[in-house]
Amino acid sequence: MSGKSNVKFFYVGIAIALLLAILAPFLASSDPDGLESAAGGIVEESKISQIEATEPVVSSPMPDYSIEGLGKGGEVAAIAVGTLAVLAISLGLGKVFSKKI
Amino acid sequence: MHIPDSFIPLSQAVIYWIIALPFIITSMKWAKNELDEMKVPILAALAAGIFAIQAMNIPIGMGTSGHMVGAALVAIVFGSPWAGVLVLTLVLIVQGFAFGDGGVTTMGANILNMGVISGFIGYYTYVALRKSVGTSIASFGGAWLGLFISAVVCAVEMWIAGTFPLVPGLVAMGTYHLIIGFIGEGLITSIVIMAIAKSRPDLLEDNFTARSEKNKKETHA
Repeated sequence: MSGKSNVKFFYVGIAIALLLAILAPFLASSDPDGLESAAGGIVEESKISQIEATEPVVSSPMPDYSIEGLGKGGEVAAIAVGTLAVLAISLGLGKVFSKKI
Repeated sequence: MHIPDSFIPLSQAVIYWIIALPFIITSMKWAKNELDEMKVPILAALAAGIFAIQAMNIPIGMGTSGHMVGAALVAIVFGSPWAGVLVLTLVLIVQGFAFGDGGVTTMGANILNMGVISGFIGYYTYVALRKSVGTSIASFGGAWLGLFISAVVCAVEMWIAGTFPLVPGLVAMGTYHLIIGFIGEGLITSIVIMAIAKSRPDLLEDNFTARSEKNKKETHA
């Protein structure tokens, strides 16, 4: 395994990830996912509205991958921020855990 | 398949956290033993890519969409399901805390379903199939089955939680995720693995040839 080609893999990976971040707000389906859709189909309505009224235990800064008032641009930014956060955490963890060669 | 807080009572959500913790800790031990400076960029790029692709919901009809999970893909690339658990744990932490995608109390259940179950089943199905049907079909089949089984387990958890009735839950979750697993998980995993096999065959080979040589050396030493 050569270090140089791993660096190339790294940059190609980031480029693809950021491209996905830019495209997702425009291309991704807004239909509910499998779990939400199943809930909508088989759980009684009174229970669904009760579930929906329940706030998340921890409130998140960018709920539903959006930034308030920024529209699609905010969604792109939110997903890009998340992508870079995952990248930074992985690199940080890698630095802490990895063996030196 | 990200379970929100409201779908599982806290008392049960805690139990899933307790079950998930040893898996999370073992995945960190895996990182400590197996990751070196050369492999970190690969892991980080895959983790970032998986976070981004999870935002890309694919319509599957029936007013429903779904996205890739990615634990099987990471496990196949690294030759270990623990890599899948580690990456999905990181992705789910960021999704839960920053974006409210999946609850924080239910994060244990989500790590268990998407990281552990889809990663382990995906990876070992791939390993079992690889010699007889080849890398592309094996990675497709593994990723597909991994996602499907994790959806079935999720439906059972929803039943234990008192949120879904058992049979309709299994039917709905199973049906949707058979389709999501085919396109979103199986096809994408297979395409990415074949692209890596073509451009970086050493990455995939390392996990089978280099690993066993290394193990031999270790047992001799």
